[in-house]
Amino acid sequence: MSTASFRFRRRLPRPPRPALEDDDLLSEILLRLPPQPSSLPRASLVCRRWHSLVSDPAFRRRFRVHHRRGPPLLGFSDDHHRNTFQPALGAPHRLPGGLFSLELHGSYTTLGWRHRLALFFVPVSLQVLVWDPVAGDQHRLPVPPEFRLDLVVDSGAVLRAAAAGDAGDHFQVVLVGSDPKQPTRVLASVYSSETGAWGDFISAPISSETFFFTGKPAVLAGDCLHWSVAAPGSGSRSILKFDLDRQSLAMELLPGDMYTRGSPAFTVTRGEGGRMGFFFLSGFTAQLWSTVTDCDRAEIWEPGRIIELDKLLRLHSKKDPPHMVGYAEENNVVFLWTVVGVFMVHLESLQFKRISKATI
Amino acid sequence: MATREAGKKMIMLKSPDGMEFEVEEAVAMESQTIRKMIEDDCADTAILIPNINSKILSRVIEYCNKHVPTTGATGAAASDTVAPAALAEDLKIWDAEFIKVNRATRFNLIQAASYLNIKGLLDLTSQTTIDTISDNSLEEIRSFLSTKNDYLPEEEQTIRRENQWAFQ
Repeated sequence: MSTASFRFRRRLPRPPRPALEDDDLLSEILLRLPPQPSSLPRASLVCRRWHSLVSDPAFRRRFRVHHRRGPPLLGFSDDHHRNTFQPALGAPHRLPGGLFSLELHGSYTTLGWRHRLALFFVPVSLQVLVWDPVAGDQHRLPVPPEFRLDLVVDSGAVLRAAAAGDAGDHFQVVLVGSDPKQPTRVLASVYSSETGAWGDFISAPISSETFFFTGKPAVLAGDCLHWSVAAPGSGSRSILKFDLDRQSLAMELLPGDMYTRGSPAFTVTRGEGGRMGFFFLSGFTAQLWSTVTDCDRAEIWEPGRIIELDKLLRLHSKKDPPHMVGYAEENNVVFLWTVVGVFMVHLESLQFKRISKATI
Repeated sequence: MATREAGKKMIMLKSPDGMEFEVEEAVAMESQTIRKMIEDDCADTAILIPNINSKILSRVIEYCNKHVPTTGATGAAASDTVAPAALAEDLKIWDAEFIKVNRATRFNLIQAASYLNIKGLLDLTSQTTIDTISDNSLEEIRSFLSTKNDYLPEEEQTIRRENQWAFQ
């Protein structure tokens, strides 16, 4: 090949300045700082230029998108105590409780947390509030007009839009409700911050038996949100499943024999491969169940590991069994109250950590 | 003109210090910048890569050669019979060896990866830099990156106060 035929292409971008002098390149490097919340404040202290780079809202957005997989578990909030926050990370990443406090006047219901967003329902003003405590943003959205007339808000969930890139800032709110005059169906509507509007109602038939939401936040597993629903008449429990991809809603009954030993507490979990599973807690014994798809593409249940919590957590008192206070789907961690404090237990590795000695 | 050798299209890359590198087009197209040029304008001549010297350019080509999808590539250790997981593990080990370079070379590689838009190489070089500094003290970070603390003492105190929890 001849070297005489070089053509200097004008379309080539200008060569960059040396790596650390170029703001874009330095941002590219700083984007890979660990996702722990103390990373950026610490980086800010290096020099003014670093401070200005990591304070830029566009950088913060990219940082969040970059770390979407495997975000750290910051802690959990306890709705019964006015949104008190229990930090889960050790110093220097331990967030102070005060950072996540929100003053809401009047009555409200916490519908759940996800992707570092919290969702509250404020019945007096018929609004939902989406709160991003890290960015300090609050979005108040009027609920769809139907909820002002006939429908009752039963539960809801918030999540960030699935697409990466700039869409990382957008969120969706899913509200579910029912019509007391027509108790044979349940409805859902989805708000998208991208369009700024609520979508059409999606409904699912249910048995005529009365039901109520157990008040536990929805769990996102696969492409579906799952709420646990109880029917006091038969003592049965069901799962209301909203498929975000297909935009469909369905009520599914849990396996009935789960209730032979009293009424175990349970939560939907996000098991292996993101599939839906269950964690049942009865006394000091917990059992994991998973769902598998058989050759007819039907979901079947498989019992999994049994965990003896008194042995695992070395609980000596046999009087007060643990209560389940929460589940973090992104980390697959369950929070358990015990007489000696609150533990978080990772359901795959069974590694655990006591995060609070005080009882809450 | 681009040549064809054994059915593979070749392309010539030239560094500003006059070195020439003949590489398979598929390898060169690991760089999105070069890919775009080829796709836009059927690259019929050699391509001058400004500001990336021959030493760095040869390392970049070495990286692309290893990371180009294996079908039709030369030099890659993998074959169709190797499981994807084993291939990924092999690449990880290779990357870890590849990035054992001095600080100046690594910064030059970051610059080249960004300019040529080679995502894998940019990830590798940037992440290695962050991993090197993230457990260090502020003074060590400044020294490693040749950055000066330009805060007034009271400004530094204000920032520390605002995020006191992060410095405990």
